[in-house]
Amino acid sequence: MIKVDHLYKSFGNNEVLSDISLEIKKGDVVAIIGPSGSGKSTLLRCINLLELPSKGKIYIDNDDITTFNQRNVIKIREKVGMVFQHFHLFPHKTVMDNLTYAPIKVKQTTKSEAQEKAIKLLNRVGLSDKVDSYPSRLSGGQKQRVAIARALAMDPEYLLFDEPTSALDPEMVKEVLDVMMSLAKQGMTMAVVTHEMGFANKVADKVIFMDHGQILEVASPNEFFNHPETDRAKEFLEKVL
Amino acid sequence: MGIFSGFSLIASSIPYIINGVWTTLEIALVSAIIGFVLGVILSLFKIGNIKILAWLSDFYTSIFRGTPLILQLTLVYFATPQLIGYDISAFLAAIITFGFNSGAYMSEIIRSGINAVDKGQFEAAGALGVPYWSMMKDIILPQAIKKILPAMMNEFITLTKESAIVSTIGVLDLMRRAQVVAAENSLYFPPLIVSFAVYYVLVMILTILGRLFERRMSRSD
Ligand SMILES: Nc1ncnc2c1ncn2[C@@H]1O[C@H](COP(=O)(O)OP(=O)(O)OP(=O)(O)O)[C@@H](O)[C@H]1O
Ligand SMILES: [Mg+2]
Repeated sequence: MIKVDHLYKSFGNNEVLSDISLEIKKGDVVAIIGPSGSGKSTLLRCINLLELPSKGKIYIDNDDITTFNQRNVIKIREKVGMVFQHFHLFPHKTVMDNLTYAPIKVKQTTKSEAQEKAIKLLNRVGLSDKVDSYPSRLSGGQKQRVAIARALAMDPEYLLFDEPTSALDPEMVKEVLDVMMSLAKQGMTMAVVTHEMGFANKVADKVIFMDHGQILEVASPNEFFNHPETDRAKEFLEKVL
Repeated sequence: MGIFSGFSLIASSIPYIINGVWTTLEIALVSAIIGFVLGVILSLFKIGNIKILAWLSDFYTSIFRGTPLILQLTLVYFATPQLIGYDISAFLAAIITFGFNSGAYMSEIIRSGINAVDKGQFEAAGALGVPYWSMMKDIILPQAIKKILPAMMNEFITLTKESAIVSTIGVLDLMRRAQVVAAENSLYFPPLIVSFAVYYVLVMILTILGRLFERRMSRSD
């Protein structure tokens, strides 16, 4: 379980997150939505310590990760995978090497084991024919599916997605959402920052609405999309739906 | 005396001059390797978060960039032996000076290359739990170096040309050999033109090799 407890984050004098508390239970899919600049990415990045919180606590399986040092940070990164808007595949490595590099380096997996696993994962995301391709030869949708497979190669218990489809051409959005949906079905615990309201509605167990660094609503998709409580959420939904 | 009869007068010495290219290349190559290794280390210090190391690396760079190369060489060759009590060979003095000097320039080139790597690459590696040094070695530097290949090739060509300064401490490189032959025959134009031409051809070859290499490397893009 991930538990965020009265979290604050400032960049200089700019308070980007203020008094954030939330829980993500094992197996849950949580959609985080809200206007641009509301702090969604920053929240996600605090959960795997890509950003250091200014105040407050974050528990992952009962460990308070805000007290962690360099060594423990790696433990968190093994447990919590991340998928970025712009993929960030390693451009000088083949798809296979993208998938096997971290397991070999970080988890001391043997090369053959890592490769076997990579093939399975590529099958799962429908890209087994791209094993030896370089990322530059892939479409956006394919890149993002490889990036998801790369994150899965570390056997994470949690996956964070930061707008995984926002950089994609519209016709490629579905192939990525399909992969995410199947992950959700298989019980992966996921926190997804997204502008895909359809996905949030259909797949999420819980929707979190953020604005100006605060959580304004936490609700089931049904409640949130049909009966938003705050004016800000209503306004936001009018704009995006 | 005509130019051509001048060339025929030193004809037997022309191979001697041309063979100086190996000394020149050796100095450039060894210095480039020292410079590259130093440059990588210094650039990592510069972008790292250990303040004192970053400061020292910047200081090192400013020293080598802020003084004449020929003075650095003279200091190393003539002054160091008086300090340490051992003579050092002219060749050793040459590669130390050029290697250390090149390290200063190379560190700036490599730093700019690292800064040009997409920040997302650091984050992706970090998010996968890759330790800092592995990330630098396996993910960041390979991409950085690819970006700066042209600049590094330039640095190598500069090194090749500037290495002519080692003639002042008696290393028998391309330049020095031309001077020796000139002095022996009291004839300047032909031997100097021979080394002139060899330098030029050498730099052209290096330029072409550099381009071929770049093209090869950019294939995975
Ligand atoms: N590294 C940083 N340094 C300074 N300010 C930052 C940094 N990262 C984010 N911010 C600021 O924090 C605020 C929240 O940014 P964040 O990226 O978390 O928003 P977001 O909800 O993800 O927005 P978007 O939908 O546009 O991605 C913004 O005002 C942004 O300018
Ligand atoms: Mg964002």
